[in-house]
Amino acid sequence: MAAISTSTAPAARRKPATNRLLIFGFLSPTLALLLFMVAFPIFSLINYSFYNFSVLRAASGRKWAGFGNYEYLLTDIDLWNRFVFTGKFVLITVALQFLVGIFVALRLEKNFRGRDVLFTLLMMPMMLSPIVVGFLWRYMFNSEWGVVNYLVSVAGFDKLDWLGQTNNALAAVVIADTWMWTPFIILLATAAFRGIPRTIYEAAEVDGAGAAFRFFRLTLPLAAPVLFIALLLRLIDSFKQYDLFFALTGGGPGSSTETVSFALAKTAFSYFYTGEASALAVVLLLIITGLSLILVRHLTRLSARY
Amino acid sequence: MAEIALRNLSVEFGAFRAVDDVDLTVADGEFVVYLGPSGCGKTTTLRCIAGLEHATGGDILFDGRRVNGLSASERNIAMVFQFVSLYPHLTVKNNILFPLQARGVARAEMARKLDWVVGVFGIGDILGRYPASLPPGARQKVALARAVIRDPAVLLLDEPLSAIDEQFREEMRWELGHLQRELGVTTIYVTHDQREAMSLADRIVLMRDGRIVQVADPDGLFIDPVDVFAGHFIGSPSMNFIELAPVAGGLRLADGPVVLTPADGVPAWAIESRRPLKLGIRPSFVHLAEADGPGAHAIPIEDLFAVGRERFFTFRLGGAIHQGVEAIGRAPAGAARGVRFDPKGFLFFDAESGRRVKPEAAA
Amino acid sequence: MSVAHRTLSTRAANWLLLALLAVYIVYNLGPIFWLVISSMKSRMDLFSMPPKIFFTPDWGGYQSVFGVGVGANSAAAIGVFDSLLNSVLIATVGTAAAVVLGTLAGYVTSRYDFRGKNDFMFFVLSTRMLPPVAVLVFYHIMYAELGLTDTRIGLILIAVFINVGLATWIMKGFFDGVPREVEQIALINGYSRLYAFRKLVLPMVGGGIAATAGFCFIFSWNEFAFASILSTTQAKTLPVKISAASGATGIEWTQICAAGVVLIIPVLIFFYLIRKHLLMGMTFGVLGRR
Repeated sequence: MAAISTSTAPAARRKPATNRLLIFGFLSPTLALLLFMVAFPIFSLINYSFYNFSVLRAASGRKWAGFGNYEYLLTDIDLWNRFVFTGKFVLITVALQFLVGIFVALRLEKNFRGRDVLFTLLMMPMMLSPIVVGFLWRYMFNSEWGVVNYLVSVAGFDKLDWLGQTNNALAAVVIADTWMWTPFIILLATAAFRGIPRTIYEAAEVDGAGAAFRFFRLTLPLAAPVLFIALLLRLIDSFKQYDLFFALTGGGPGSSTETVSFALAKTAFSYFYTGEASALAVVLLLIITGLSLILVRHLTRLSARY
Repeated sequence: MAEIALRNLSVEFGAFRAVDDVDLTVADGEFVVYLGPSGCGKTTTLRCIAGLEHATGGDILFDGRRVNGLSASERNIAMVFQFVSLYPHLTVKNNILFPLQARGVARAEMARKLDWVVGVFGIGDILGRYPASLPPGARQKVALARAVIRDPAVLLLDEPLSAIDEQFREEMRWELGHLQRELGVTTIYVTHDQREAMSLADRIVLMRDGRIVQVADPDGLFIDPVDVFAGHFIGSPSMNFIELAPVAGGLRLADGPVVLTPADGVPAWAIESRRPLKLGIRPSFVHLAEADGPGAHAIPIEDLFAVGRERFFTFRLGGAIHQGVEAIGRAPAGAARGVRFDPKGFLFFDAESGRRVKPEAAA
Repeated sequence: MSVAHRTLSTRAANWLLLALLAVYIVYNLGPIFWLVISSMKSRMDLFSMPPKIFFTPDWGGYQSVFGVGVGANSAAAIGVFDSLLNSVLIATVGTAAAVVLGTLAGYVTSRYDFRGKNDFMFFVLSTRMLPPVAVLVFYHIMYAELGLTDTRIGLILIAVFINVGLATWIMKGFFDGVPREVEQIALINGYSRLYAFRKLVLPMVGGGIAATAGFCFIFSWNEFAFASILSTTQAKTLPVKISAASGATGIEWTQICAAGVVLIIPVLIFFYLIRKHLLMGMTFGVLGRR
C-alpha cells in the first residue's frame, strides 16, 4: 500500500492585533480584581512577619524582629509536629476522597431510573456549612450518646472513644472531611468520564480489552487532566482546613489534632501574636506553593500530550 | 477467516424494528457490502454481528457456531468505525499494538506483527504521531492497521470512508479492495454510497426498513433489480421510470403521444399484460437519434449538458423529466433530434407493487 | 451496549460493587438524615440512648434560629430575613461574577499561549491558598481604609475573590476538552472569534459552567470568616447571623442542626435550578487539544 501524505500543516502561530486584544480583555478583569484584593493583605502579611506586633496592642507600636519570628517558628518542635500531622491528614483524606469519588463516579456511569436524582442528593454533604458539619459529626461521634458508637455497638464491637484519643480523633476528622468533600470529586470525575466518547470503549471491547484493562489504559489516562485539577484543588483546600477541626475536636485531645491552620488561628486570634502569625502564614504559603508547583508542572506535562 | 450466517435476525428497540427477519450467509473470505439509505438497519445488523448490539431474535453463526451469547471481545472480530475511534492519548504505534497488548501477546510477536502491518500500510513514518495530528485518511489507515494486526476472523467496517475527502476516497477504496483480496479475510462493509458498494463488493445486500430487498453481485443488481427501489437506488444517474398504458399494438408512455411497439423491441407479453406496468430504463439505454431515424420518437429535448466525457440530455414525458446519456460524438449535430430507447434496457415493473415483472409471471 | 458473557465471577463482582455503592450511599445520606431529625429533637431526645428515630418534633432549634418563641424578639426575626437576603444577593452576584471572569480567563488560557501564561495560571491558583485566618486582620484594615466595611459590595468582592481561581482552573479544563476545529471551522467561514466563542464553544461547556457555578455558590454561601469580620449590621450574611443568634450557653445542638438545615436549603434550590445544565452536556471532552 502506498504511503499517502500524512502531515497536516500546523496552524500558523500568528498573533494579530485582535487576538492580543481578546487575550488582554479576557484576562485583565480577573487579574485586576485579584491584584486589588491580595496586594495589600499579602504585602502586609509579609511585612508584619518581620515585626513583633499585636493587633490588640496596636497602640504600643511594633518592634522590628527581623527573621526572629521565623527563627522561633522553625525551631519549634511542636510546629514541626503540627506540619507532620497536617501532612498526614491531607494525604489520607485526599486519597480517600479520590478513591471513593472515582469509584462512585464509575458506578454511576450507567444510567438507571432515579440516577440523576440520586446524583443531586449525593452532592449534599458538600453544600453544608463546614462549621455545621463539624458539630454534626461531633454530635455523632460522641462516645456515649453518639449514633456512630451506637451502630458500632450494635455491630458487636466495643465502643470507641472517638474524640478522646489522638488517632481516633484523626480518624474522626478524616471520616468527616471525606464525607464532606467526596462529592466534589464525584462531580468532577463524572464530568471527566462523560467526556470520553462511547465509541472508544466499543473499539476497545472489539480489540479484546477487558474491563480492568479498559479502565487503566483508557479511562484513567483520558480523565487524568481533570482529575489532576481536582486533586490540586482538594490538596490546597485541605491544607487550609480549619472549621472542621475547630468544631469537631477543638484541636484536641490536648493539642494533638492541631493542624498548622489551627495553630495559625490560635496564634492570630487567641494570642493575637500578629507578627508571629504572619510569619507562620508565610511559611505555610511557601509550602503549599512549593507542592502545588510540582503538581502543576506535572499537569502541564500530562495535558501537553494531545 | 470465517463463514458468517444470519438466520431470522431481528433487532428491536422498544416498538421499533430496526432489523426485521434477516437471513444471510457470507462465505469465508467474501467481501459483502450492506447497502441502503439511512435507517435501513445496515449498521444495526453490523453491530449485531460485532456483538455491540443485542439481537432480540434469531441467530448469528460463525462457522456454524452460535455466537449470540458471546461478547464483542470474545468473537475474534475487528471493526473500523465511521467516526474514528483511535485512542487519542496513544501514539499511532501504541494504537495499533493495543489489541495485542490487551490479549497479552509476547513482545517479540508484537514487534513482528507491527513490522508486517507497517509494511502493508506504509505508515512507518507516522508511528510516533498522535491521532489528532493526522488527516482523516491517515487515521482510518491506522484504524485499519489496528483492526488487521490481530488476524481477525471477520473484518467489519461501518462507513469508514464517509469522513474522508472525495479525492482520497477513491484511492482508499482501491487500497481497501486490494488489501482484502490479499488478506482474504471475510469482510462486511456498510455504506449508503452505491458507487462504493458497486466497486468493492463481491456481493451486495440491499436493505430497506430493516429488511433485505435483494442480494446479488454488483452486475446482477445493476442488470436485474428485483423492484423499483432496487432499480432506483443502484446506478448513477438513476433509472428512469415511465408509466405505461396498454393501447392497441403497443404501450403508451406516460399518457403522452409516444407509443412503444414491438418494432421498438417491446415484448408481446408486456403489451398483453393485464396488470398496469411501469417501464424502467437506465439513462445509458436512452439515446439521441435523428428525428426521422429508425426507432426515434419525437420527444422534445429539454436540456443538453456534458459531465466529463459523457453528454446527458433530459426530456419530458407526461410531466416528469427523464434522462438519457449520449457519449460525445454520437449525437447527430444540428439536425432535429428524437429519442431512441434501446430495448436491451427494458425492465418492467408492476405499477402498484413495484416488483419486477418477468415474462413467466405476466398475465 | 455490549452483550456481556455472564460468568459466575462477573455476577459476583457486580453484586459486590453494588454493595459497596450502597454502603457509600448510606454513608453519604445517613448523616444528612441525622442532621434533619436532630434539628427537630428536644434536648432530651437528643441524648437518648439508643438514638431515637421516631419522636415528637420539637421546634425549639428552629425557633431560636429565627429568633421567635421564648423571648421572641421581632427585631431579631427581621434580622434573619435581612441577612438571608444579603446572603442570596452576595452569593448570586459573587457566583455570577466569578463564573464570568473564570470563563473568560479559562477560555483564553486554554486557546492561546503567551508569555507568562503559566505564571498567570499559578498566580490565580495561589489566591486560593491563603488561609483566611492569616489575613483577616489585614482585610479588616484594608476595608476600613476603603470604606468597604459592612457593605454588600465589599462582601461580593470577597466572594468573587475566593472563587475566581477555582473557576478559572475548572473552566480551562473544560475548554481544553473542546476541539479547536470548532472555532477554526467558524473562522474559515468568516465568523469572528468572538462569535465562535459565544455561539459555538460556550454552549458546549454549559455543563462546566453549571458545575463551576455550583461550587462557587457553595463556597460563597458558606463563607464565614471574612463575612463575620467584614460586616457588622447592614451586610451581615445568614451564616454569621445564625451563629450570633446562638446563645453562649454551651453547644446548642438543635440550634446548630436547625441552622444547618436552614442554610442548606437555598443551596439545594440553586442546584435544583441548574440541574439540567449540570447533568446534561457536562463533559470534559478528551478529543480537544491542550
